[in-house]
Amino acid sequence: MSKPIKLRVIARSEVLPRPVLEQAAADLPFDIEFELIDSVKGLQRVVTSPETFDVYHQWHTVDLIWTARAIQAIDLRRIENSQLIRNHVLARQGDSRAFGSLFNQLFVQPSGALGATPGNQIVMLPLLHGVDAFGFLPQALKEWPEGTPHSWGWLLDPRLAGRVAIMSDPVLGMIEAALAVEGSENASFANVGNLSIEEIDTVVDILLHKKKLGHFKTIWSNYRDAARSMQRGAILQSMFSPAIAVLRAQGIPVICAVPQEGYRGWHVDLCISSAAEGERLDAAYAYLNWWMNGKGGAVTTRQGYYFVIPDLVRPHLSVAEWDYWYAGKPAEAVLTNPLGEPSVMPGEVREGGSYFERMSRVRVWNAFMDEHTYLVRRWREFLEA
Amino acid sequence: MARTQTASPKPYYQIVREVLSANVAKGNLPVGTRLLISAVADRLGVSRPPVKRALELLAEDGVVTPLSSQGYVVGEPEANDNPARTNLHSLALDLPPELGANLGQASWERIFEAVEADIMNCIPFGTFQISEAGIGDYFNVSRTVVRDVLSRLDARGLIAKDRSSHWLVGPFSARMLDDAHEVRRMIEPGALVAAMPYVDPALLTGARKRVGAGLAQSKSLSQAAIEAIEQDLHVECLRALRNKRLAQAIRLNQISLVINRLFGAYIGRHDEADMLREHALVFDHLILADAEGASVALRHHLDADHARTRARLKVLSVFDAARIAPYLIRIH
Repeated sequence: MSKPIKLRVIARSEVLPRPVLEQAAADLPFDIEFELIDSVKGLQRVVTSPETFDVYHQWHTVDLIWTARAIQAIDLRRIENSQLIRNHVLARQGDSRAFGSLFNQLFVQPSGALGATPGNQIVMLPLLHGVDAFGFLPQALKEWPEGTPHSWGWLLDPRLAGRVAIMSDPVLGMIEAALAVEGSENASFANVGNLSIEEIDTVVDILLHKKKLGHFKTIWSNYRDAARSMQRGAILQSMFSPAIAVLRAQGIPVICAVPQEGYRGWHVDLCISSAAEGERLDAAYAYLNWWMNGKGGAVTTRQGYYFVIPDLVRPHLSVAEWDYWYAGKPAEAVLTNPLGEPSVMPGEVREGGSYFERMSRVRVWNAFMDEHTYLVRRWREFLEA
Repeated sequence: MARTQTASPKPYYQIVREVLSANVAKGNLPVGTRLLISAVADRLGVSRPPVKRALELLAEDGVVTPLSSQGYVVGEPEANDNPARTNLHSLALDLPPELGANLGQASWERIFEAVEADIMNCIPFGTFQISEAGIGDYFNVSRTVVRDVLSRLDARGLIAKDRSSHWLVGPFSARMLDDAHEVRRMIEPGALVAAMPYVDPALLTGARKRVGAGLAQSKSLSQAAIEAIEQDLHVECLRALRNKRLAQAIRLNQISLVINRLFGAYIGRHDEADMLREHALVFDHLILADAEGASVALRHHLDADHARTRARLKVLSVFDAARIAPYLIRIH
């Protein structure tokens, strides 16, 4: 008799809070081994060793891992509710900025390239998305006249010198730094999501100068670090929404900015290893279909993530939860984070408003820029300065 | 730049030592032959320091014996009595290709391609400082030769000096790839047309056959097979080119061959069917002596390959751990 299979899943820690792991393990008839890797090592593993995993929760890397042939096309006909996804794609094609990055490279074209023309083969199963901005404590606002619109430029504002934190990830960090340079240095970039080498130099040179002036209190690398950074004295910083949920549960009144320049959008999706076949492939599809039941998406809603088809998570949320997270209404009750700790108090309204209001304010999507090779070396120079 | 091997790190004096020792053993250099350093250097076409070092070591081995004056003699001390003043050019010696090929080359030329290849191999993976002393030790060459090599690499835009006068490699950028591609698509098709009348027809049919065989197993080709196919079109066919200036300009801009090779080495997953079909098209035109067709087909291939290379460069950008030459020191 062959050994019972164990499905191997790789993801960042933010994407899979403990209750999701437990729920998936309880619902699926096979064992699952989750590997949570927050550094670039996860991506390196996926690209070089597809035989060591079955499912990868990808994050703005789908073009890279497809180029490396580390993943295989997903057959939409094997996905439950796939008609909803197909309809969603068609309905969202008009909202190209709000949803562009999510759907314009979704379908595998007959040539093997990725594109927007729908077919039965998709490169990833869209799962979660959302927007990020910086977060701050109320006392930071004292530095500006009342009513000043939030700006990414605050990340570099000398009034906050020594009390600012940013993130170490080169892809997201560079996008946020570019937004900050635009907001504070009278610069303007043609495409913040795809900077030229001169623009990268401009941004990194400013960051290096600021770092030498002692502007940054910390540079964090995952949401736990981000939460710790704010507990330890940063009053304004780059933020992931799970860190907001952690801090609020601890009674720290962190505010999520609504920057006038717009949000940084992101999405996390499911990919199947190019090496998965037979039973493993069946298990991978079962895991993807488990996500399509909406239970996992309901858990991640409680840390601020949106599910690709909101109607699928709605039955698993209370009315108060739906109204706060998706509809942008004041909380009717105390709402908890994924771990069940209270994190939203009655009467609070989510910064930025409803699902559609927030998603329509995406300025730039996370992406590996064309000049990533250059970017990552200059970014390292900044980290090591 | 398409070269895959770096030069053998065997120091020059070692090569000279082995050559002399082998020729003595075979009797090509008879016992009693006087070996003046300058005469040996002239006969082998190398500079004097490696010859001096080699003779010193051979003397320790007892293969030669020092003369009171400035030379040595083949054999044991008793052979010293009456050394034969043979003109070394009159002796038929067995010389290895690494010595023969270098006859008439300036010192810098012998290590230039090796250093260039080492630099290209590391360039997508970071910013590196070049140790001048390190190159000298590694290749056993003088500071003068090292400086000569570096200034030539500088002139080709591969390296640059930082503010504190250290030689730096990188960081590489997609734009460098774009720029090289732009030049290449302008000159390589024309060069292929210019070389066409001189290309050995057997090379064309052989290369076409290799492409065909590759297409039959495009998903499981070995890295070596892929490289051989790339070499056929982008190196071997152009070897017939008479305009060496043009040949050099092309070679200098074939950066994509390096990136694709590194992608193969680090990532190693290919379906090369598109590349193979494009190559086949070029060779079919060449075999029919259709210059215009070959030129158009090559330009199409270069453009398509550029798009693939750009995507592959992005994948390489998430890696650090390049196998780098010991005289390159990572700084970022």
